[in-house]
Amino acid sequence: MKYDIRYKPAFAAIFVTLNPGESITAEAGAMTSMDAQLSIQTKFSGGLVPALLKKFLGGESLFVNTFTNRTQQPLTLVLTQSTIGDIGRIDLSQGDICLQPGAFVAHSAGVKMGLQWAGIKSWLAGEGLFKLKLTGSGRVFFGCYGGITKKQIQGNFIVDSGHLVAYEPKLKMSIGLAGGLVGSVTSGEGLVNRLSGTGDIYLQSRSIDGLVRYLRSQVR
Amino acid sequence: MNIDILHQPDSAIAHITMSAGEELVAEAGSMIAMSSYINASTALRQGKSGSILGGLKRMVAGESLFLSIFRSPTHGGEVFLAPKLMGDLLVYQMTPVGLVVQATSYLASEANVDVNIGFQGFSSFFSGESIFWLDIRGSGQVILTSFGAIYEISVDGEYIVDTGHIVAFEKSLSFNITKVGSSLIGAFLGGEGLACRFQGKGKLFCQTHNANAFGKVVGSQLPAK
Repeated sequence: MKYDIRYKPAFAAIFVTLNPGESITAEAGAMTSMDAQLSIQTKFSGGLVPALLKKFLGGESLFVNTFTNRTQQPLTLVLTQSTIGDIGRIDLSQGDICLQPGAFVAHSAGVKMGLQWAGIKSWLAGEGLFKLKLTGSGRVFFGCYGGITKKQIQGNFIVDSGHLVAYEPKLKMSIGLAGGLVGSVTSGEGLVNRLSGTGDIYLQSRSIDGLVRYLRSQVR
Repeated sequence: MNIDILHQPDSAIAHITMSAGEELVAEAGSMIAMSSYINASTALRQGKSGSILGGLKRMVAGESLFLSIFRSPTHGGEVFLAPKLMGDLLVYQMTPVGLVVQATSYLASEANVDVNIGFQGFSSFFSGESIFWLDIRGSGQVILTSFGAIYEISVDGEYIVDTGHIVAFEKSLSFNITKVGSSLIGAFLGGEGLACRFQGKGKLFCQTHNANAFGKVVGSQLPAK
């Protein structure tokens, strides 16, 4: 599989070339255009029950589409997300990855998508009861609103809840206040993720929540 | 007429320099700046028969009923045009083949380019998107706009595009509306809904993103009017 992420960072789109026999699985609605000879199969993402959980508790679609090249020549496909912004790529040979709700765009064959209990605290912070965990071998593509910053953390690190898009599952996450109670409210930082351990995290430079909050104040 | 596109792909703007007597037709409201001596007038867009009905049809097609016409009396008159949303612009040089443009993707054209409301390709009951096409003929340049970047596909054979991502295509291509994949249930459940299947040989222009899809993401979280 060859791929090229073009029009970064504002309008990132994945231009994929599938060789004979190869396939890629994408979020429902992610296909922009493709060669007509590609075969498509729609399935529940990870089976019926996990798919339902993902839809209602993890913020993902109920279905995913698998595009397979059953011909003898290479075929192309363009995938994108509904949000404008950057698309990042993670190779799972470096380890598993957890994605925030809505961030998943596509994964190559050999990757398994599952759910992991995130906890009540995560839910209270608006992050969802479950988190999406991708395991196996292959590549994962994820999207965000704004640009992507990769950061390796060691020890403790604090991230605003709306800006964390992906992180390694070995990192421990706890939800807390940015400062004291009064300070957190008045500084506008509110709840934050307190991460600890060693691993990579991916941040988005803007958040849809921020845009929505701004627009809401302008609607009359 | 010389057209330069600046700030691609996210904040594209067209810088147009005109020769004496040249005319530019543009979507109403798209002018950002111009030389003070340019004659600007507003016209009701007329149909093929020159009737007001043609103009009304354009309004139905998601375009303004009015068009702006810019005429430069001398050499070197300048006009800047831009669409309202973030996105890319594309300059297409008309050929005898003709071009079909998704109605909201039209921004401007030279005076010898004929823009007619073509036909309503379809109004998709399922996706709620109704798509109108403009039938563009004549000679000269056309400026197209998109939400997202515009990419070109040279179709030779068959190619499928999600209905929300079509900007324009050459008339040498024929198309039909089809479901994506082999099963109808899968097509709708899988979120891809209906797509356009193009056949033949010619250029096709697609946009990487879709304003309606992004609008839904943001709009669903805004209070009702």
